Amino acid sequence: MTRQAVIESLEQYFDDGGFWTDLSRRVAIKSCSQDEPFRPELYRYLKDEMTPYLADLGFVSEIFENPKPGGQPILVARRQEDDDLPTLMTYGHGDVVRGYDEQWRDGIGPWEMKKEGERWYGRGTADNKGQHTINLAALKACMDARGGKLGYNVVALIETGEETGSPGLREFCRDHKDLFKADVFIASDGPRLNALRPTVYFGSRGVFNFTMLLDLRDGGHHSGNWGGLLANPGVILAHAISTIVDAKGKILLDDLKPEPISNSVREALSKLTVGGMEGDPEIDPDWGEPGLTAEEKVFGWNTFEILAFKTGNPDNPVNAVPPKAFAKCHMRFVAGFDPAVVLPAVRKHLDALGYDNVTLTPDREFMAATRLEPDTPWAKWAISSLTRTAGEEPAVLPNLGGSLPNDCFAHILGLPTIWVPHSYPACSQHAPNEHILEPVSRSALRLMGGLFWDLGERDGLPLQ
Amino acid sequence: MTRQHAIDAALAHFDDPEGFFADLRARVAVPTESQNAARLPDCYAYLEEEMRGAFEALGYACHVYDNPHAGCGPVLLAHRDEGADLTVLGYGHGDTVLGQEGQWKDNLDPWRLTKIGDKVYGRGTADNKAQHSTHLAALRAVLDTRGNLGFNHKFIIETGEENGSKGLKDLVALHKDAFAADCYFASDGPRFDVAKPNLTLGNRGAFNFDLVLDLRDGGHHSGNWGGLLANPGIILASALATVIDVKGRILVPALLPPPITDKVKALLGDVTRETSTGGPAIDDDWGEPGLTRAEKVYAWNTFEILAMKTGNPDNPVHAIPPRAVAHCQLRFVVGTDWQNIVPNLQAHLDAAGFGIVKVRPSTGGNAAFFHAARTDPDHPWAEWVRAAIERSTGEKCRMVPNSGGSICNDVFQDVLGIPFVWLPLSYTGCSQHAPNEHILWSLTREGMELVTGVYWDLGDPKTAYRMERNAA
Repeated sequence: MTRQAVIESLEQYFDDGGFWTDLSRRVAIKSCSQDEPFRPELYRYLKDEMTPYLADLGFVSEIFENPKPGGQPILVARRQEDDDLPTLMTYGHGDVVRGYDEQWRDGIGPWEMKKEGERWYGRGTADNKGQHTINLAALKACMDARGGKLGYNVVALIETGEETGSPGLREFCRDHKDLFKADVFIASDGPRLNALRPTVYFGSRGVFNFTMLLDLRDGGHHSGNWGGLLANPGVILAHAISTIVDAKGKILLDDLKPEPISNSVREALSKLTVGGMEGDPEIDPDWGEPGLTAEEKVFGWNTFEILAFKTGNPDNPVNAVPPKAFAKCHMRFVAGFDPAVVLPAVRKHLDALGYDNVTLTPDREFMAATRLEPDTPWAKWAISSLTRTAGEEPAVLPNLGGSLPNDCFAHILGLPTIWVPHSYPACSQHAPNEHILEPVSRSALRLMGGLFWDLGERDGLPLQ
Repeated sequence: MTRQHAIDAALAHFDDPEGFFADLRARVAVPTESQNAARLPDCYAYLEEEMRGAFEALGYACHVYDNPHAGCGPVLLAHRDEGADLTVLGYGHGDTVLGQEGQWKDNLDPWRLTKIGDKVYGRGTADNKAQHSTHLAALRAVLDTRGNLGFNHKFIIETGEENGSKGLKDLVALHKDAFAADCYFASDGPRFDVAKPNLTLGNRGAFNFDLVLDLRDGGHHSGNWGGLLANPGIILASALATVIDVKGRILVPALLPPPITDKVKALLGDVTRETSTGGPAIDDDWGEPGLTRAEKVYAWNTFEILAMKTGNPDNPVHAIPPRAVAHCQLRFVVGTDWQNIVPNLQAHLDAAGFGIVKVRPSTGGNAAFFHAARTDPDHPWAEWVRAAIERSTGEKCRMVPNSGGSICNDVFQDVLGIPFVWLPLSYTGCSQHAPNEHILWSLTREGMELVTGVYWDLGDPKTAYRMERNAA
């Protein structure tokens, strides 16, 4: 058997309906992590679906309780071929967001996979059941082609809390480092740059949310009787925000900016074009850090957003000076930026300008940013494998614009992280009508077959 | 019978639990929200079931006019014609702002009158049901005591004041003879000093407008699009920062009034605004620099962000919001170029590079446009009312050139052309327009004395207001 035969067998798996069968069975499990009543479905997904499938592939599975109270179960499965072989770590999440059953178009729904033209609809098709189904099928095809061998060991982590922020995942990885001794991490989640373009990314921007609150007094006061005598918190908070980020989205505090973009990242980004596809919003060329390309802004720089702002009663305004105002602030940041500096830097800045009564509160734990430089050996290896299968170089993102718990793997476990996304931007992930595209899924099976085959070829692997 | 007899009768009614309190309880129980279209039937009910009977019992003929503006609240005109030389016009409004149920302390029901200590809570207590109820009770005491008023009296109860008194001006213009009078005396709003009464000779105008920035349909994932898509909340914050500075000073000259006149400065010289018990602490570094507290609120314009929203504040998602809106308000004094607030502010934003932010008059329940108005402080009617109050208190009554708040004085100033004087009966800590609206029971009782004294004196030949003084 050869690399080409593996790829063809995966095409066959798709064309004969094997992929449909596996995925529709998984979509039918209502493993929603955002609603407590569905909790048994999370266990069912791991125990009745993943464990037997993985057992057929020679994996030994164990389901762990989440180290955090209320956190969701985590499956760890290992396939140990030979202690002397390299080890691949892979990841997927078996949970999905809420079904929003009643909001889907007529004739389709979240829990029964339906095909319309090239689209397969169902909750989790894109995020993430379809993606790990492709990867596990690719491993199986490689094993079958090599007479039951992969040529490497595999440890798979399937969590079921990703859609609630992966609670406990960091603690779990930290506490069980020994389970995850590996040489490289390869997994799939999120969208390609666009449907047509095979894509690889090596990390993600981090995210940090905090609230700016200005609480001046109890209750509103008549704006006629008091207007001129009482400070308006909306006015003051608007000013405070305008000193942090300007009217064109440029971050004004040096401490909130990342290090200059490295040459290798800049070069990788120069080959990409973001946006411009059907359904994409129009990009505002004047927004963001001046002098950067659009791709550098979203993949190579930090952003500061006001996700939400409220003062008074916007749905029913009354003629009163409102007592308080708050802004839900949000930063996305690239690797190398330490989010722990954000609050102290903003605090110091606000104090210096006299905004000491504006309070700052972190909203939840930050998610760290990660990145593998595109010119490092594992990155080059993956790009080369994907290029060979696709016949063209994939879109190479140093990191995703969005955020993933990739710091668990890149920072805590110290692995080089390679992500090959199998979805596309308009897949309605997290919304009604979630779907995948047949040609993208078929191409993804081919790419992963090639990648997992190449990992079994000892030559050319950048092993330490 | 004497002035004191009338006052005693009024106070006896006030102190009777089945008297004033019961009347007010019934009136507060009618949820007359004029900012809520569904409450229009309640506004009619208030006039037909609460006001008509009360006035007719005092010998007033009543007529309820539909509002010429479709969907706006009706207006009652009560008229007691004694064939006298002088006709006095009174006013009250039966409507309230929204109840804001669920936001009151101890989950008080806004439509249920609740007395806790000296505070009597309920939506519309301060603004304006207790105030026109005081006038009704005072008129009754004078009539019971003297048998007549000694002057002709007309009383307007409108039900759209909190919605900008839409249609009132048109209605009065349409029926000018029915509403005609020689002078005007009524109560609304708070006195500036809880300890002492004052008269108010006018009002700031108010105009509500929205600053809207509508960039695109729907939110977009902040990871995939952050850095590529303009954030409307950020832009609007910066735009607002060019309109008003961080200390509340208006930065757009076209939104400011002419300099304060010496006469107004002199009147305001003995007006102070102190923090009252239960009232908010005053921020002295807020507002136009160099002005006294009284000048800031009674003689200058203020710009407020009444409310502002972008995204989903109660349940934020990781998306760049598509839209941001600030519901703003300018309170303005006589002399401001109020006709051109929208174009002037738009021109400022355009020049400052914020042309994508659009200024629009507010719509729906938040729409408001009150003109600024003021009776000349030297007018004999102002002097007469002041003297009547001083007969009750025995000390100088202060006059404020205009209130900080807004009311429909332009109807009296521009349509009827009569001098108007207000005796506000509430206090500034009353949480009017907010949850926990209340009156102070002791203050309301004092108001009962003062208003009764004014009506008594108007009909007493020894003290009556002589129109010829006005002519001179």
